[in-house]
Amino acid sequence: MSLSQIGLGLVLMALLTTAIGIPVGFVAGATRSAEGLRWARRLAYLFGISMLLANVTMEIALLTHDFSVSYVASVGSLATPIHITMVSLWSSLEGSILFWGLILGGFTAAVAYLQRQGHEDYLGYTLGTMFVVGLFFSFLIAGPANPFRPTPLPIPTDGPGPNPLLQNHLLMIIHPPMLYLGYVGMTVPFAMAIAALLRGQLGPTWLRPMRNWLLLPTSFLTMGIMLGGWWSYEVLGWGGYWAWDPVENASFLPWLVAIAALHSAIVQQRRGTLKAWTTILIMMTFLLSILGTFLTRSGVVNSVHSFTQSPIGPLFLGFLAFCLVVVVALLALRIDTLTSEPSEDAVVAREGAFLLNNLLLVTFTFTVLIGTLFPIIAEAVRGVKVSVGEPYFNRMAVPICLGLLLLMGIGPALPWGRASRAQIRRALLVPIPAAIGGLALAFLLGGRHPSVLLTGALAGYALWVTLDQASKPARARLKKGESLPTAVDRSFRKAPRRTGAYLVHFGVIITFVAIAISSSYQVNLEASLTPGQSAEVGPYLLTFDGIQLIEKPHLTSQQATITVAKAGKSKGVLQPSLNYYDTQREPIGTPAVKTTLTHDLYLTVMNVGEDGRLGLRAIVTPAVVWIWIGVVIMVAGTILCLLPSRPVRTTKSVRAVESAA
Amino acid sequence: MKPIHVALLLLLTASIVVSSLDAREDLGVDSATSMGQPNGTPLEGFELEQRTEELSSLMRCPVCQGLSIADSPTLLAQAMKSEVRQFLAAGYTEAQIFDYFEQSYGEFVRLEPKAEGFNLVVWIAPVAALLLGLALIVHRLRSSKKETTPIGEATPVDDLDSYRQRVKQEVGS
Amino acid sequence: MNRTVVLVGALIVTPLIVVLALSFGKDPRAIDSPLIGKAAPTFTLRDLDGDVVALEELRGQPVVLNFWATWCQPCVVEHPLLIASANRYEGQVRFVGVIYQDEPQDIRRFVSQRGSWGPSLIDTDGDVAIAYGVYGAPETYFISSDGVIAEKVVGAIRPDVMASILGPLL
Repeated sequence: MSLSQIGLGLVLMALLTTAIGIPVGFVAGATRSAEGLRWARRLAYLFGISMLLANVTMEIALLTHDFSVSYVASVGSLATPIHITMVSLWSSLEGSILFWGLILGGFTAAVAYLQRQGHEDYLGYTLGTMFVVGLFFSFLIAGPANPFRPTPLPIPTDGPGPNPLLQNHLLMIIHPPMLYLGYVGMTVPFAMAIAALLRGQLGPTWLRPMRNWLLLPTSFLTMGIMLGGWWSYEVLGWGGYWAWDPVENASFLPWLVAIAALHSAIVQQRRGTLKAWTTILIMMTFLLSILGTFLTRSGVVNSVHSFTQSPIGPLFLGFLAFCLVVVVALLALRIDTLTSEPSEDAVVAREGAFLLNNLLLVTFTFTVLIGTLFPIIAEAVRGVKVSVGEPYFNRMAVPICLGLLLLMGIGPALPWGRASRAQIRRALLVPIPAAIGGLALAFLLGGRHPSVLLTGALAGYALWVTLDQASKPARARLKKGESLPTAVDRSFRKAPRRTGAYLVHFGVIITFVAIAISSSYQVNLEASLTPGQSAEVGPYLLTFDGIQLIEKPHLTSQQATITVAKAGKSKGVLQPSLNYYDTQREPIGTPAVKTTLTHDLYLTVMNVGEDGRLGLRAIVTPAVVWIWIGVVIMVAGTILCLLPSRPVRTTKSVRAVESAA
Repeated sequence: MKPIHVALLLLLTASIVVSSLDAREDLGVDSATSMGQPNGTPLEGFELEQRTEELSSLMRCPVCQGLSIADSPTLLAQAMKSEVRQFLAAGYTEAQIFDYFEQSYGEFVRLEPKAEGFNLVVWIAPVAALLLGLALIVHRLRSSKKETTPIGEATPVDDLDSYRQRVKQEVGS
Repeated sequence: MNRTVVLVGALIVTPLIVVLALSFGKDPRAIDSPLIGKAAPTFTLRDLDGDVVALEELRGQPVVLNFWATWCQPCVVEHPLLIASANRYEGQVRFVGVIYQDEPQDIRRFVSQRGSWGPSLIDTDGDVAIAYGVYGAPETYFISSDGVIAEKVVGAIRPDVMASILGPLL
């Protein structure tokens, strides 16, 4: 049997499993039959295993250069290094959808296993819904996007290799899987939301697992988005990390809504309100993931990352339409079962901040969505192509982000539930000195832009509140006479999620500040240099030493050597290059970056003249590295949130502090 | 070797052609016919560089995807950027320069949609969404204040209650 | 059944799906040239021999203005057709090439090997390409005898397209 046949066989098995799994899951959900649930779980494992084996088969085909498999013939090449060959599984459309199948199978099996206890009320429906999504992807892999198609004869002896951009940097190896884990992972909370609607209730056995299954893909998305930005910065050579490209936006949209959902889930847990709203947000997260996939795969938007136009576009749109209709219908039929909320006392203070947070995040989402889709809308309405690019998005995003930063400060400072005006006033006034400090610091460091000064003030305020809130339980324990390590350890173990949440906020504040600084104080230089000439940028003196030609298989590279000196002292050599791939006319530059804690020196080759003149672009951007650091802190915080809390001996007064916080 | 500063190195034209021709000869496109007289004042030095960057960052590089001509390293973008610089140096205004590029590349070349006609949708819709949301929140706050029941008499939902019970047990253990 | 949800849902879902569906089959990169029906931007350039060619001097005959380069594969493909067309319409239509992001010596070498269909003009700063809204090579502009751009063709041109566009211009 050929690998093509084995692969297709496994995909067909996945298709069959999901097709059977749908009725089994939904019937088990409706009848609450333990036996049915067991079968649904078995089918989930089978689905996961079929997808795993199908992917293993493709990896074998790739690694053995079996060009009789169509996908290998289209992305494989004998000259490609082995690690690139391995990851070319997701370098092109068909392979990436197969890889999606693996992740979806993995998530389905994981939910079936991890939620086997305590979530029984919902699990049948949850798995049933995941099987529906699984069926769609299995169908895509088995039919329209089948990577296992046999190559038409004669079978080639070598292939073109994957997209050159993918071969350019190792980040590209981990960036797509992270995004896929995020996108696909959103299926789980979505399935749980559908289950809750079908069941007509949202209890704690729903909320806690849902929140974890929402947190997990959100952290993957966070990482994926950051790695994408980093890759764009290190590889694309234009000196930026975020261009509001439609595909970048597509990953940003579900992330924003997921953040909103995580916050409204807190209100739901605390107050029993916002149930329907949380459900809607969760479902939007998944729908936006599908929309994002559609935008990426269909070629309807103009983007760096999109795959070429393919027949699966309409199928994805059909699936999106199907999901939307189901969601709207379900909401219309069942939303009233979720609105039986207690209106204990006035929705003031902290809840108000949460509502505003949700409002800003949803407005942000809507803005990015309409900006991304507007070129399509305008063409449909006016028949004219327009662009909506970075300047638009930046203009819209800056005030929204400042608003979010403000809320990150005042929200956690406010008390839950009813509070007197005096209490609120005091809570809000205490951190004011920190805001003044932040403002002063921003000014002293040379900040003059109003947006940078405002960021400084709001960040100072938010930072104070974050640290204050994060340390509150430990401080209460200290007062009770516990030693510092014990107090910290206990309060952390008692509520890792609380600590994690404030750690995430801390990371967000760092990232916001870093973005504000780095986008406002770039120093840019374009110079045309002959060997031996120098140019000055920021604190650096750059001397152009010469150009070297480097021949590699499939590409020729012009590498410039530039000696970097600062205040008369040599700071080493940077070697940006221009790469000419055999298949492309326009060369792709590889920048050279010198990163320090305060700023980055970023060099790219614009062009190399016949006479050996170098067109060099040099950018000094402050604080870039702190963007990545901030995001890493955010991800670390999310991981803390995923840790289970463990019982800790607590005195009454400590408990009072903890529950009030 | 004396360091060379950016402002002195304006004319970084793309290395499209390295010809023996005298570049100062009045060759190329007769842009004055379509652009008319410059409406602004000629810029030079640092101000010229700054304005060039500003305008370039608002203009889409036609052959790249979503990048401005300020950011794009492609030859076409570099050529466009050097034209922007020349126009600014000749005293053309932002509007004139945009109109010129729009004549050949269409509205597509503006990275930020012109706020007029149907394009207003993309500018107004987000603001409208924000205001609508605010109105909903205010409405919610108002109505929930009216329904306020005294604390203690509130009847929590059953599942929330069981959750609280569990938390109490956990804390107490 | 909650009618508000149905109403709001339908209001969001329908336009979204319709707009996305409409976008199918349209290439996001294919942009109609706004120059069609407008006066062709006038220019003065030197050809490979150093002679000055001005577009305005060519008035009175339709002009086929082709932006090309030796590195571009479709340009190489359409080269024989352009030679054939230049012969066929000799005396009726002027064929003029503008070099797009290429070196004159490469063009010279290419033309000496494969023949020429008209002057190849050196677009020193690339500003002629920009004035015509060129995205890449090859792009062919058909200018009527009174100097108006009648049509633009992106990519290698086919004989039937050439004939059908030139027909009405003669």
